Amino acid sequence: MIKTITVLFFVMLILQSCSSVKEYEKEKINDPDMKLTARTAERYETSFQVYREAAAGANGGKSGGGCGCN
Amino acid sequence: MKIKFLFLLVLISSIAFSQDKTTAPAFKKRVLESTEVDFLASYYNQDGSRSAVSGGIGSEKLTDIASNIVVAMPLNDDDVLTIDLGISAYSSASSSNINPFNSTGASSSGGPSGTPWQASSGASKSDQLVSIVANYSHSSDSRNFIWNTDVSFSNEYDYTSVGFGGGIATLFNEKNTELSLKANVYLDKWRPIYPTELDEYSKYGANFLNQGYFNGVSVLDQNGQATTNYLPSAFQTVSGVNRNSYSASVGFSQVLTKKLQFSIFFDILQQQGLLSSPYHRIYFADKANYYIGQAQYINNYESSTNSGVYKLADDIERLPDSRFKVPVGARLNYYINERFILRTYYRFYSDNWDIQSHTATIELPIKLSDRFTVFPMYRYYTQTASKYYAPYETHLSTERYYTSDADLATFDANQYGFGINYTDIFTGTKIWKFGLKNIDFRFNHYERSDNLNANIGTIAFKFVMQ
Repeated sequence: MIKTITVLFFVMLILQSCSSVKEYEKEKINDPDMKLTARTAERYETSFQVYREAAAGANGGKSGGGCGCN
Repeated sequence: MKIKFLFLLVLISSIAFSQDKTTAPAFKKRVLESTEVDFLASYYNQDGSRSAVSGGIGSEKLTDIASNIVVAMPLNDDDVLTIDLGISAYSSASSSNINPFNSTGASSSGGPSGTPWQASSGASKSDQLVSIVANYSHSSDSRNFIWNTDVSFSNEYDYTSVGFGGGIATLFNEKNTELSLKANVYLDKWRPIYPTELDEYSKYGANFLNQGYFNGVSVLDQNGQATTNYLPSAFQTVSGVNRNSYSASVGFSQVLTKKLQFSIFFDILQQQGLLSSPYHRIYFADKANYYIGQAQYINNYESSTNSGVYKLADDIERLPDSRFKVPVGARLNYYINERFILRTYYRFYSDNWDIQSHTATIELPIKLSDRFTVFPMYRYYTQTASKYYAPYETHLSTERYYTSDADLATFDANQYGFGINYTDIFTGTKIWKFGLKNIDFRFNHYERSDNLNANIGTIAFKFVMQ
């Protein structure tokens, strides 16, 4: 696991060092549909998926709290 | 392992902060120009045939209506306070069968009866969840560093959760790279409720068939004959009622080109305490079967044609008091052209209960005009079973941990749907001081390989104060 994380870390460093898009060039990147997060209205779907599936986390949803036992 | 992980976090943070050489601009744009209010509402229904309350068979019919109001208020140029208030109400055939008997015991004519295939009139057939989350965030003058903190509270009939946490995010490389760290703690508490027959046993002990609810009620054996042999001696009430969850998350996002960006997230979660649900029944394969209700339905107990008999539990599910989870996720979004955008998401999950899962999502927003966007979407999910799971009536009483909750079984799921988004950047439609900026509607259908089906529809309105 540590090896994987280390590799990922160096890949990230390489990626960020070779990319520089200027602010005025970010019209497309700043489009609301390009956001790197779940949509606001997606929260209830995430919620039921957390309840109905055993795997939670890394999905922008709450990682604990709430019972979800139904 | 944990020390190495923390060391890595510190290293990443150090490098990230060393990149931030942007000085504060002469003019500061407010982080949030004015108060924004989101109204959200959803309707969810599901049906299935593997109810955990009935030990792995029975109706999973459930309806849930939820709504939230989220208010984001700028406190000054740099600080934003967000309050999120939520309420949801459900009715559930599954949880109604915590007490499956549709009369109050021997006092009613004909005696009590029930079935795992229908909802009972028990008090647990419905409940309400209320929640509140307050989040405070601060952005640096350069807008390249953000910290936030949050507190949360939620409550339902048998469960209360209190949470707090915080995080930092830093942007560098001309805001093309973002690194974030987040940590949360949830301190939850159960107020356990047990299946009726086990609750009565815990109250009255070995003589419980002659007292309380069971006084005068006929318990039937597998042949439909009245018996007094039912004794769930494996059952004990839970010894602890707390469930604590601790999570830490690292996120990294990168703008790759003018049209392409991605992010990855790495979480670790540790849960401790009562991780089972105290009202999930277990039927052991090596124990005799006992019923309450009408004897003619015993032979087709596992069929939905059973409308009049309910099997008495041997125990409730038992699970370890610790669980360690490691999910890793990634998003990649690509601006194809003025009409199409591609949104993708993938996540891998693993925990020490032997569950592994993969999730893949694809969404294709199509811009019909300046105001309307439609987005078809598809999600695939697959998971392996927990080592503690076995189907209805296959666990043995000699095992230490056991559950027949199908949510912990092997399955895969397909979810498909669509969304419609309306945006008016000029906020032409007004209600009092608020202009309507955005309406988002989405509908999804969910199908699991074990025949659980669900539908969910959500609508969200965003207003901006003017």
